Order: sequence, then C-alpha cells, then structure tokens
Amino acid sequence: MIPEPQGEIRIGAEVDIITARKVVRELASQAGFGLTDVTRIVTAASELARNVFRYAGTGVLRWRKIDTVTGTGVEFIFEDFGPGIADVDQAMQEGFTTSGGLGVGLPGAKRLMDEFQIRSEPGKGTVVKISKWRRK
Amino acid sequence: MSEAEVSIIRVQGTLMVTLPADPDDPTVNSLQERVLEALERRPARGVVLDISAVDTLDSFFARMIAETCQMVALMGSPTVVAGMRPSVAITTTQLGMSLGGATTALDVERALLLLERQGGGRARR
Repeated sequence: MIPEPQGEIRIGAEVDIITARKVVRELASQAGFGLTDVTRIVTAASELARNVFRYAGTGVLRWRKIDTVTGTGVEFIFEDFGPGIADVDQAMQEGFTTSGGLGVGLPGAKRLMDEFQIRSEPGKGTVVKISKWRRK
Repeated sequence: MSEAEVSIIRVQGTLMVTLPADPDDPTVNSLQERVLEALERRPARGVVLDISAVDTLDSFFARMIAETCQMVALMGSPTVVAGMRPSVAITTTQLGMSLGGATTALDVERALLLLERQGGGRARR
C-alpha cells in the first residue's frame, strides 16, 4: 500500500490504529527517512491515533508530504471531536493521565518529532499536528 | 491476520513467546492471559519474550510487555525479553518508556543461556 502524498483516513475503531501506523510508516519511508526516524514517527503516530480512539472514539488522520528547497518533511494531523482536554499544559506533563495509562503519550510523541502543536477545546475536540524534517 | 498472531511454544522446558511485527491492540491485550495460562498448564523454567520482529513499541505495547514480566514473576518464573531492535530501543527510550526492569538479552540464544544459568538447568515438569 503506497499512500498518496496527501490524504486522510478515519479513525473510528481499534483496527484503525494499525492502519494509521501502516500509512505513516509507508509515507515516512517514501520520504526517505532512515529506519530509526521512521520508527520514531510511527511510534508518535501510534500514540496519537490511540488517543483519538480512546478519548474521542472517532477522528481523522490527515497526512502531507512536504517538499521544499531546504528539505523533505512529513506532517500528520490528528483531529477529533471528542471531549477535548481541559488543561493542555497539564496533559503535556510527563506522567499525567486521566485514563489509567502512563501519561507518556503526548510528551513522548513531542520528543520523538521535530514539531508538535496541540490545540484543544473542552466539549469540541482536539487537534494535534506533528511533523519531522529530513535535511537535504 | 495470521501474520499478526502471538506464537507460544515450549522448547526444552522454556516457554518461547514470539511477538509479531505489528500486532493490533486486542492481540497485545491477550498476550498476558495467554502466557500465564500456558504457564499454569505446564510450568516452565522461564519465559522468553521474543520481540525481534517488533518494529513499533509504543507506550501501550511496552507497558503490556513490562506487566507480563511482572505477572510471570508472580507465578514464580523468570522472563527474558529478547531481540529488541536498535531503532526500537532508541525510540522506546526517547518516548520515556522502560520495560520496568525486565531482564533483557540481545537475542533468543542469549536469553536461553541466561535462563539456563539462572534456573540451574532442568525444567520442572
């Protein structure tokens, strides 16, 4: 399966976490990232896809391959329309969890990527954008 | 989805648990019970969790592996986690995960040697 440079899939079931990992792996490999970076990107995406499923039930993963003169990058946006996060700063703290998990998902995903943005509104949903760059 | 199944076999008194490259959450979830039930059916001198095929170890998967080791310890057997890939070791560490102090080995062969030394050789039957 070779994903288009731009596209989206719906995350609405447990099995979609696997599909998300597959798409992300293909796209990152295609963009020329080495194995360790591909693993970092897929792992970050897996954390975020699982968050969408666990906390919101449904959401969307959008991806984009970016080519510029300075480098190639991949960008992923995880958007859900779930309960949102009351305190984003708190959610970004190591070990904070509301689900009985370990609380490493968000801060861990941030460390594994080059860019990480999160926006959340209680009652409306959460958007997380991550990207990684490969220098030319 | 046979490529995503956990395989559990006995080799000379050791329970060999081989994890697939990219298991789904239910498969990971069922790992603990399957290993513990296999142990209960027939005691083993130890458990080897072979993760050499695993290409993504996210926090959920890592936690399940760490917990499996703890549970097996509660049932009286040692576990060795074998074959973590370099890319996975780097990523898991940067993600902020550990395997909770589980014994690890570079590969299955070394894991078996470790268990042999720990357990004094023979398996109980």
